[in-house]
Amino acid sequence: MLTQATEPLSTFFEYITYEHMIDNVVLIVTGTLHERDVQELLEKCHPLGMFDSIASLAVAQNMRELYRLVLVDTPLAPYFSECITTEAYLEDVYRFCQKLGGATSEIMSDILVFEADRRAANITINSIGTELTRDDRKKLYSNFGLLYLPYGHEELAVCEDIDQVRGAMEKYPAYQSIFSWLSYGETQLLDKAFYEEEVKRLCLAFEQQFHYGVFFAYMRLREQEIRNLMWISECVAQNQKSRVQDSVVFIF
Amino acid sequence: MEVSDSGVESADEIVLDFLDSMDRYLVLVDGLSSILRQGWFDLASARHSMSSSRMSSALFDLKIHNASTTLQLQQADPGKMSPHFDLCKWVSSENLDKSSEDKKFKKNELLQQEDSLQSHHQEPKDNISEGNGSVANDNNQAQKERLKSLSMFGALVAPKLWSSQLSFEKALETLVEIANTRASLLQAYDQAQQNMKKTD
Repeated sequence: MLTQATEPLSTFFEYITYEHMIDNVVLIVTGTLHERDVQELLEKCHPLGMFDSIASLAVAQNMRELYRLVLVDTPLAPYFSECITTEAYLEDVYRFCQKLGGATSEIMSDILVFEADRRAANITINSIGTELTRDDRKKLYSNFGLLYLPYGHEELAVCEDIDQVRGAMEKYPAYQSIFSWLSYGETQLLDKAFYEEEVKRLCLAFEQQFHYGVFFAYMRLREQEIRNLMWISECVAQNQKSRVQDSVVFIF
Repeated sequence: MEVSDSGVESADEIVLDFLDSMDRYLVLVDGLSSILRQGWFDLASARHSMSSSRMSSALFDLKIHNASTTLQLQQADPGKMSPHFDLCKWVSSENLDKSSEDKKFKKNELLQQEDSLQSHHQEPKDNISEGNGSVANDNNQAQKERLKSLSMFGALVAPKLWSSQLSFEKALETLVEIANTRASLLQAYDQAQQNMKKTD
């Protein structure tokens, strides 16, 4: 599809692949630090995120070399400061979609804003109990989203437990429904709630016509199907079939 | 069969010891099964939450490093105490020679490392008996070591991965307890056998 597409759709398709490129770069760099075989790591990479010089990532000895030898010639170069940040990528996609305008901008903004806010919540929850300072935590949040202004990120940055995260997010009507049926202190169902909300927004992309959001939504919904299958497989393998409903998200 | 009162009581005590040990052993085995089940489920949940690219066997650290948890065996005195297993958890890697992490170990150096590890492993157990302040320090140290071992999956991991780690840690403790209970069970059984032979 990418080779058949013209601008700006081809750029839109490329943006979809950048997220997987970032994941692959992180996988290879981390695996190399842990002295894993490069071929083994390349087999685990996502096919949408492959690029020509990906194997050279294993040669770099530090972040400067990583950028100079490999990343500078890839589309990921703008997202590299002290390290590769998915937040920079999300902001870039958001700006690009805003420029496209029309239904694409409307649909994609809704999806990306939710993605940014979800990432902020997950970063906060995952950093509870670690040595990450409040300032460092705030630096990891994207510079857009419902929580960005005025005080959402400020409140999230000082949260010390999941109930405080809940309190910070419940103030926004869009996220009240997510937390309304969760009990206090629950984290696994929160993941499922976020996935369900994401699927709801992705499905809405198919309600409108003549926009690029359907391609993004299609990819993301396919990924959700894969997640569902993997979860069901794990439950069957562990003889915990009664727990399948804990994380399966129904689509359409 | 005539048996003196003290002999009967002694025989009863031995049989009761044996039955208590057997009960404890069965309870522990059952508990171990449910702890491991929960640990594996939490691991699957963490993988579902973090995505399979962030949690896979390809990210395991294959560099040579010292074990953070070791098992010590105190050999049994002949005819008296049963062998006893002790678990030394989350020994700080900062206590060990940092420069050795950058070298390739020869076999002799590895053996020397094991000896120094055993002497370092006594320190956490001695510290616990000193008071609440040192218990808090030990807990902080253990938490740091837990964080370090999870860092192979990234700096920010899902809470379910922490739960999984705690479950497997508890499973390890239960295994050691099972080993100790089994040793006392076998000792009680031997004593009961010997008592029966005496009374026959």
